[in-house]
Amino acid sequence: MKKLLLPTIILSFPTLLQAATAATQLEGGFKVGPAIILITILILFVLVGIVFRAKDTTDFYAAGRGISKVGSGMAIASNWMSAASFLGMAALMYGSGYHGLAYVVGWTGGYVLLLILMAGQIRKYGKYTAADFIGDRYYSKGLRATGAIIAILISISYCVGQFGGIGLLFKWVLGINYSWAVIIGGCVVLTYTLISGMLGVTKNMQIQYVIIIISFLIPLFILTAKFDYFWLLPQIGYGSVVSDVVSGLPINETKELINSMGHNYAIVPAPEYAMPWDPPTGKTFFQWIAIAFSLMIGTAGLPHVIQRFYVVPKARDARWSVVWGLFFICILYWSAPAYAAFGKILSSHPEVGTLAKDAIVVYTAQLGNIHPLIVGLLAAGGVSAAFSTVSGLLVAGSSAFAHDLYVKVINPNASPKKQLLFARLGTVLMAIIVTIIALKNFALIGQLVAVAFSLAGCTIFPLFLLGIWWSGSNKQGAIAGLITGGLVSVIAITYFIAGKSGVTLPAHEFISYWLEAWYFAWIGAPLAIIVHIIVSRFTKETPLEIRKFLIETVHS
Amino acid sequence: MNPQQNDYHFSFFKPTTDSARRNRNMVVQFVLIWAVAIFGFQILLKILEKPTPEPAYTLFETSWGNFESGKFEITDLQNISQSALSVLGKMAIDPGHRVALDNAVSWMAYQIADDTRKNDLVVAVKEFEDIAAAITDISDEAYLEKKNSLILVFSNLFDLSPLDVRGKIAPLEVKSSFMESFDADSRDVFVEAMGLYLVHNRSVLTDAKFLGFPFHYFYTAVFLLILFIWLCWMYCIRTDMFNKKYGIEE
Repeated sequence: MKKLLLPTIILSFPTLLQAATAATQLEGGFKVGPAIILITILILFVLVGIVFRAKDTTDFYAAGRGISKVGSGMAIASNWMSAASFLGMAALMYGSGYHGLAYVVGWTGGYVLLLILMAGQIRKYGKYTAADFIGDRYYSKGLRATGAIIAILISISYCVGQFGGIGLLFKWVLGINYSWAVIIGGCVVLTYTLISGMLGVTKNMQIQYVIIIISFLIPLFILTAKFDYFWLLPQIGYGSVVSDVVSGLPINETKELINSMGHNYAIVPAPEYAMPWDPPTGKTFFQWIAIAFSLMIGTAGLPHVIQRFYVVPKARDARWSVVWGLFFICILYWSAPAYAAFGKILSSHPEVGTLAKDAIVVYTAQLGNIHPLIVGLLAAGGVSAAFSTVSGLLVAGSSAFAHDLYVKVINPNASPKKQLLFARLGTVLMAIIVTIIALKNFALIGQLVAVAFSLAGCTIFPLFLLGIWWSGSNKQGAIAGLITGGLVSVIAITYFIAGKSGVTLPAHEFISYWLEAWYFAWIGAPLAIIVHIIVSRFTKETPLEIRKFLIETVHS
Repeated sequence: MNPQQNDYHFSFFKPTTDSARRNRNMVVQFVLIWAVAIFGFQILLKILEKPTPEPAYTLFETSWGNFESGKFEITDLQNISQSALSVLGKMAIDPGHRVALDNAVSWMAYQIADDTRKNDLVVAVKEFEDIAAAITDISDEAYLEKKNSLILVFSNLFDLSPLDVRGKIAPLEVKSSFMESFDADSRDVFVEAMGLYLVHNRSVLTDAKFLGFPFHYFYTAVFLLILFIWLCWMYCIRTDMFNKKYGIEE
């Protein structure tokens, strides 16, 4: 099977070239070239998934702990580089300028916290899932079940944005409506997650990382070269694009620089694009700080991210895999703002109209007159980014469902076969729920994903932080902290959903600003930590065996 | 103190062994660098920022003062129109603001035109609107021809150079229905919009350039990410060294 993969790809290449169409319209019907690339890549993923499929439950949950630290770093990056990174970040910068950089900083800076405060210790603790850790550290089946439910909720919340991204790109490529695009995309990602399990997913992720990064960078090299910027390193070259947006760019006298719609490559001065929390963007200093902070602590509390550290053989590998993972992630994060800056100039003419921000990466490439096949590859990269994250999330969610809820709480004597069956059942259930929510199209991809981060920051993060670093943190404190964080989360999400449904609740404007759904962890997490500490101080201390385990094993 | 003596109690702030103490100090050091680099810089940006108008706003303020006092010339109307087009060229504009801006530009164009050509101008704009409403493809020849002729007309009326992108967008913003009146309510919204879109938070950190970037943008979008990787890398190196020094097997 492995031998067939490469020839399949090579043989399909001439077909792709023949199928290239001059599809320069931004929206519209079925795009043959991009569709073939997308389908080829999806088939490749499924084939890789079959070749490296899970053989038993250990494989399914933790990939046999046989992945190298560079490989694991790539998997971390692929797992991380979701539709929110690939599409959502550029969308946020395109729409809100400097405000969008809070997401870039938030989604990378959190890895420093994760590494310094948790990665090695989590691996040393030696559990399979986040709920496993919570149940064990806080010696409570109830907390284990709660942890599992929270992990599932976080996974669902995170997946909604991904399915939204998949829907947008399938809609663009296949020329079908958004709802059908979400349903078809959901079915495909579910199929290959079920087939492969986590070992396959990890192998897939390394391949996906390469596809994601290549598809993202090629159009950027072309854009910088085409519009006369320093193209050898577009991540630096686009700095002049940002400055051009700020100071304005007159029509070039000597060179005919135009977009695919025939408009000059020119723009009036738009300093609001780069100036911090500029009034026209409607965003404030507080929101910038709150978003960056919430995303960073959310990063250190996301079950599917934490779970990746169980995949590496040793604590040292867990630490180094973060370094590699962050490096691989940053390659994309240095590049995403460039799409937003080019998009700003290329779509500045009123005739371009209002573009769906979440697809601005693809539109920018189209407006830059890049070959449709390369734009197709870019779109396929976006789908790949969403797929890699969704598969990781579905595995994390189904692990929580089967391992932490079913086996550890309901039926401890379940056979491995039954466990695997329940893991798969959990995957299907989650995919259905996510599809239904994604069809509502509540907000931008990046914002939807940020909800999951705040939720993780308010609930899981305090449990891990205090559980690892303070032996005095006990069950009662954990419950109290969890209730506090959970309450803040419920209030924020209720107000968000009410607002989207046209319902005005008491103090709606006040709560929506200070506890907006994408940054409520700025206050929820510190409150949860404080309550956790206070209650722990005044209740029965942590059992000796746990304190002993923490000192002798986790912090040895 | 060894762990047994302490009955296996420990916290981040009260480490029980020498290696744990050193690890604690290292974590504190890294977290401090991390926090100051991210939040300290944004706070500095906030402290240094000053509302700074774009040149278009300065031009607008002077000419609008003359206009309001009734002692204005054609040049003032041209300046106001140019400034309004500077805002209309920006993308994210509130629909209410856009209406007021379109009203201003349309009315100014009508005022600037010679009395003998006012009707021709209205007719030409109406014809363009009709063509624009009928077409589905902006490469339509009649549409392009009419648009290009209006670009010349408006560039001339507003005194814009052929290389000024504002001339290119003028035909899409001038509306025939707005050409003959510009009431007080519209004027209020127009002035509010000009202040909102043409004044920005700037400082020495945003005006300085580094590798082509505005400095603050480079710092946040590029440098911070490099710093994060460096912090992670240094942490791993130092942890490996500690573990070796204290003979810790993982």
